[in-house]
Amino acid sequence: MTEHMASFPVLTCMLLSPVVGLTILLFLKNEQEFLVRMVSLISAGISFALSIYTFVGYDQKLGGLQFVEKYEWVKSFGITYYVGVEGMNAPLLLLTGIVIFTGVLTMWELKERTREYFIFQLALVTGVFGVFMSYDMFFFFLFYEIAVVPMYVLILIWGSTRKIYAAMKLTLYLMAGSGLIIPGILMLYSSSGLFTFDMVRLHGVAFAPWIQKVAFVLMYLGFGVLAGVWPFHTWSPVGHVAAPTAVSMLHAGVLMKLGSFAILRVAMYLCPQGFQYWSEFMGLLAATGIVYGVFVGLAQTDLKYVIGYSSVSHMGIVGLGLATGTVDGLNGAVFQMFAHGVMTALFFSAVGFIYDRTHTREIHELGGFSKIMPVASAFFITAALCGAGVPGMASFWAELLVLVSAVKVFPVRGLFAIAALVIGALFALRVVQNTFFNEPNPKFMHFEDVSPFLGLPRMILIGFLVFFGIFPQVMVGLIKTSIVPFIQGM
Amino acid sequence: MTMLLFGPELYYLGLAFVIFLFSLRRHPRMARDYPVIAVLAALGVVVAALSLFQQGDLFFKAYKVDLFSQIFKAALALGLFLVVMISRNLPHIEERHQAEFFLFLTTCTLGMMMLVSSVELLTIYVSLELSSYSLYILVPLRRGDDIDVEAGIKYLFIGAVSSGFMLFGLSYIFGATHSTYLADILPRMPQLVQSPIGLIGLLLALAGFLFKLSVFPFHFWAPDVYQGGANQVVTFIATASKAAAVAVLLRLAALGAGYGYSFTQVLVVLSIVSMTLGNLVAIIQRDFKRMLAYSSIAHAGYVLMGVISMQEAGFASAVYYALAYLVMNFTVFMVLSEVATDGRDLKIAELAGLWHRSPLLSMSLILGIFALAGVPPSIGFTGKLLLFTSAMNQGYFWLVLIGAVNGTISLYYYLKVVYAAYFVDSNLPPIQLSWPSKLLNWALCGVILIFGVAPDSIVELARAAVKAVL
Repeated sequence: MTEHMASFPVLTCMLLSPVVGLTILLFLKNEQEFLVRMVSLISAGISFALSIYTFVGYDQKLGGLQFVEKYEWVKSFGITYYVGVEGMNAPLLLLTGIVIFTGVLTMWELKERTREYFIFQLALVTGVFGVFMSYDMFFFFLFYEIAVVPMYVLILIWGSTRKIYAAMKLTLYLMAGSGLIIPGILMLYSSSGLFTFDMVRLHGVAFAPWIQKVAFVLMYLGFGVLAGVWPFHTWSPVGHVAAPTAVSMLHAGVLMKLGSFAILRVAMYLCPQGFQYWSEFMGLLAATGIVYGVFVGLAQTDLKYVIGYSSVSHMGIVGLGLATGTVDGLNGAVFQMFAHGVMTALFFSAVGFIYDRTHTREIHELGGFSKIMPVASAFFITAALCGAGVPGMASFWAELLVLVSAVKVFPVRGLFAIAALVIGALFALRVVQNTFFNEPNPKFMHFEDVSPFLGLPRMILIGFLVFFGIFPQVMVGLIKTSIVPFIQGM
Repeated sequence: MTMLLFGPELYYLGLAFVIFLFSLRRHPRMARDYPVIAVLAALGVVVAALSLFQQGDLFFKAYKVDLFSQIFKAALALGLFLVVMISRNLPHIEERHQAEFFLFLTTCTLGMMMLVSSVELLTIYVSLELSSYSLYILVPLRRGDDIDVEAGIKYLFIGAVSSGFMLFGLSYIFGATHSTYLADILPRMPQLVQSPIGLIGLLLALAGFLFKLSVFPFHFWAPDVYQGGANQVVTFIATASKAAAVAVLLRLAALGAGYGYSFTQVLVVLSIVSMTLGNLVAIIQRDFKRMLAYSSIAHAGYVLMGVISMQEAGFASAVYYALAYLVMNFTVFMVLSEVATDGRDLKIAELAGLWHRSPLLSMSLILGIFALAGVPPSIGFTGKLLLFTSAMNQGYFWLVLIGAVNGTISLYYYLKVVYAAYFVDSNLPPIQLSWPSKLLNWALCGVILIFGVAPDSIVELARAAVKAVL
């Protein structure tokens, strides 16, 4: 992979901006709520702006790894600080930027322990940025865990519905995943003979087939827990329901992508033969997840559970795309990570707004909500349409790419997935109908609709969904610059 | 000038003498004596730090001053200073015994400093006993319920038994090699480790330190002593004493390096049993100190992973972890003794509402607890990863897998502490902190984070140090 050093440490700034923000927050007082929000917004905004810059500024003709920064960190253990951007992580950095920025705006009305909330949220987002940009396994894993653990506190304190149970379940599941990842990573480290955590250098090593098989499955299962791979997904609907709005946005929107991205970036990249051995198995789990998520989601009456299970099935699409191992499949998988991230963030953001006012998420109680809050409902309906895969939205292209290649590689599983998605779309529309277009519940008549300022984060999210729905080539072309060499390297 | 090499030890001998004079007062005046002791203990850290790069031999080569020993001496000096810092109030120790409390802490530190420099079997034994006897007195010093007596007796008996094992083992090694100098024993070990006498001798010789480190099967004292001892005494046992034990364990284990398959296999088993047992039993504990006792058993298991690798990298990561453990465990104990101002045993549930009673303490607590649980970016995470890495490099795949799974199990009970401190509410009044303890809080948090993210300087230092041992 060709490397192009950064003239200005863009990525480090993107990473450190939340850190600086949270350090300032440590020294503020609880009472200075406005200042707390502004500091969080500015630090999230800087990261957001820089993520746009890397997305736009990535030179597609040049290709390879750009904005690279590389410093030796711990010499004797072969740890380097090595960050960069290429086609496959630029969209995900952008996604993180979008979700954190809109997340801070979404939590603008938070009253309870505001300062602590933003400290933990900024800590979490540092980890997310770090994972997407790291090319060193040590830092990759370090950031991976930073992204996972603050979640416990965030759900525990600011969550709702069975939060104590959900927080503990989520954390233990994800840490159990880490327990598999560590041996997998270290196995590659020590059997390479290079004593380096540098992924690009490790990629050049031809590991023995059995090592690849063992290490791959360890990492696939470990990261798969976070990616919501069926049957390890059970933490995710429970966790998403319990988490506060912005955390659900971050978690379903970004964190689950860490898992699937890690499978792509670490497991498949370093163990291609292991991947070939296990790809059938991956495809099977992914397809099962799609079908399972759709059908369990239909039975739910809580809007957040509906979204939670739809995430399982949408993440199944990512998994299916990865399992195909084709250019289109991987392309679609990465695109789907981005599209689903923005879409789910919009979903949770819309539900959060409704829940904050009505204190219910039950479908039948909300009834004809669109007559009370037309704008808030429109946000949800847009997300639902996007989830159903309506053309003109980003998800449409992503799912199309994945499903086309899936049908080629695994015909039966692919067809099952398509059938499930069609049924899912039908039922998603019924959820929308029951929630928003029935008789309105008189209890909620007095609520005011979304103000333009509070609508802003949702508008940003919709903007991105539509933009990439109309111009998918911007995204697909960018992702392709790294997927093509990736497949050739396998 | 060679006596300058003995500088830190002489300093602490002098300090012990000064405190001895304080203890002779007819009417104890701790309020006036305490600042003097604190300043002198701080000065001790400076002395130990200044002599960091000294090298040489003393006392007919029975006593070796090298980077390895000096690092641990600095760590011990730091440990003593930190414990003194949280000993302003000693509510559970009678005032007329408080000077003795500091006196025996100092003699214990002195004994451990000599321990880490000893390279001769008898010197090791004598230094070990100097530090042990001080602790035998410190543990039952707490007044009140009978649990202190139980703790004191348990500690004494198990300590005496393990000393007995150790002497027996040392006698085997001496008998087989005709020398008490480690330098002479080392070249004769390859043939010996294959034979039962060498293997048993070496393993029994380690017993005394496995006891201090509370490795299975010498761990029985830990829960009772942790619960029964005064908070400050336990803090010292849980931090400084562990670091010293790791140091000597490394020196002695180096005797078995590279030769004995069965020797490392025994250590592998001890490591696995220790961490699994410690973590599983810790889950059901309600008393905070008892839970930390079981977590210390688990951590002893992790440290053994570094010893097992028998390589420079492994030993270096064990040293790193020992230092990290000192800092992070102290952080947790500091919060514990600040919350339990009356010196009582703290239940985990009594941490309730800490987030609004003292945001600073709750920040230190969450960082300390996350570091113990091995969550990044903390020294605990980096240390654990380095240990795992070096064990994996020697091909101990299963050991690493079990260790990693253990990390997950341990997270459960660590999170229960976070749960109590951050989620459960209480209407207890805020905790007022003095400015030195505020400063200490910030410093510890800084150390936990900074050396967790940028461990290079410590790792390099540790690597240079263990060259002297292997």
